[in-house]
Amino acid sequence: MDKMLRNKKAIILFMLPAFLLFTLVLFIPIVQSVYYSFCDYKGITEPVYVGLKNYKTLLSDKTFGIALKNSMFFLIFSCVSQLIVGLIFAALLTNIKKGRNAFKNIIYLPCVLSSAALGLMWMFIFSPKLGINQLLEKCGVEEAPLWLMDTKGYIILPMWVIAFVSLWQYVGQSMMLYMAQISGISKSLMEASYIDGCTKAQTFRYITLPLIKPMVATAMSLNAIGSLKFFDLIFNMTEGGPNHKTEVLATHLYQQGFKYFKYGYASAIGVVLLILCLLVTLFINKVVKTEQYEM
Amino acid sequence: MSSTRSAIAEPDFSSKKKTSGIQIVIYVFLVLISITYILPLLWVFNVSFKTNKEIFTSPFSLPENITFDNFSFAWTAGRLGTATLNSFIVCAVALILSMLIGSMAAFGIARLRWKGAKLAMTYFLTGMMIPIHCVLIPLFTRFAKIGLSNSLLGIIIPYVTFSLPITIFIMTGFFKGMPNELIECACIEGANIFQIFMKICLPLGKTGLCVTGLMTFIGNWNELLLAMVFISDDAKKTLPVALSKFVGPYNTNYSQMFAAIIIAIIPTIVVYCLFSNQIVDGLTAGAVKG
Repeated sequence: MDKMLRNKKAIILFMLPAFLLFTLVLFIPIVQSVYYSFCDYKGITEPVYVGLKNYKTLLSDKTFGIALKNSMFFLIFSCVSQLIVGLIFAALLTNIKKGRNAFKNIIYLPCVLSSAALGLMWMFIFSPKLGINQLLEKCGVEEAPLWLMDTKGYIILPMWVIAFVSLWQYVGQSMMLYMAQISGISKSLMEASYIDGCTKAQTFRYITLPLIKPMVATAMSLNAIGSLKFFDLIFNMTEGGPNHKTEVLATHLYQQGFKYFKYGYASAIGVVLLILCLLVTLFINKVVKTEQYEM
Repeated sequence: MSSTRSAIAEPDFSSKKKTSGIQIVIYVFLVLISITYILPLLWVFNVSFKTNKEIFTSPFSLPENITFDNFSFAWTAGRLGTATLNSFIVCAVALILSMLIGSMAAFGIARLRWKGAKLAMTYFLTGMMIPIHCVLIPLFTRFAKIGLSNSLLGIIIPYVTFSLPITIFIMTGFFKGMPNELIECACIEGANIFQIFMKICLPLGKTGLCVTGLMTFIGNWNELLLAMVFISDDAKKTLPVALSKFVGPYNTNYSQMFAAIIIAIIPTIVVYCLFSNQIVDGLTAGAVKG
């Protein structure tokens, strides 16, 4: 048997398709992308090496500044809000007896729906003359806010709206992760804490929370990478407008690369995005993932 | 009902009543949350049956007369029919390929004995952290050169590749967990390595295949960016792309756009309603492992 499992031909045969695809479609393009980011490359002409020019342009590009700010806002908002709201939902759902499945399935539903379609749906709901504003009009509110077109403030209103929509859509996933972890905690631990006179809240604080910490790392890094990759909702809700105020890194990359065909410049944005993704994953795994408890 | 019964049966009902009070608050809260989830979808569904005029005159009432004109217009003019078919072809092919190639590599890593297995695993796992945006430009220019842009195959290949890391990761776990005796036994019976893979390991790893298949399929079904960049031919667009194109700021017939949104999400909703528990558990299991 050992001989069969060491058979070189078999090993090559099993590994080759995945290895080829991975290298050709993922790794070589990544290397190319890094190279393009140092090039002047406009699509028609061949790429010409220009050194750090693209990165210097990035620093003076106002839209890139906005995009970076918005992406960071999304990153922080989604990590914090998903953690808090996801935990609350999970705690509530594990504390009820009837209908847990129904609530769980309803809250999880948007996670499997196309965010392109949901983005369009929310675009209509928050559009000036439809949806929420019609409702407000019925209630007698004059001068209803322009949800997706307001440009006042440091983090403008449309960004908050989109951030809440993304929370609405993806909180089910965090909730399910936390619920899976909570239901894995053995009953005897809970009972022991009740016998010692803990209230439910105390049990949650001192037993449940520490025990789900490893899952916080998993859920958070999923959220963080997801929020950096964030594209569909923004593209369909505002398309980066008004006046590029709701641009994030992914939409900026798309605009520069495939509307203006500045391949080199867009590659530089992609490299920034890649570095951010790697940094954030490393950071979360270092900081949040601490000790594992025996359950 | 239950509170009155407990009041009669249990002498110490004060504490029971208190907990049930909290329970009621929780239920009210959860029902409110659920409403925020269902109401927007219902509103779109309701509006999609109305005429464009009705949307502005009576936005929240039920439609006066139900017609399917909006739907049929969106289906034909928005090319949502073709788009649904395209999406289905792309996702089904990508699903089968990624499951096959991914579990082959996972088998190679988990079961075959060679020195580079661990290194290969790390290599594939780094793919999980890489966002699709970063490879978009080189891939697009390369595919345009070899004639793969603007074809369904051109988006199937990246979809398969980007599904590989998670497939390999989950399936390796499954294959490693299988008892050694099983393979030894098959070996003694005279099975070759391919028979062991196809007839023993794959059927036993069915749960893993379902989980990864589900993640792959849903992820690819909803993918917008890559499909939008790679495909410009209307007849080859996938569902999210066709929808985003049909529903836009330049279209003024709202009810048709609402109908298009409903058409785009109704297949997923129907499948989800049928298998919601399996889907939720499967996706969560996949996310926990990944």
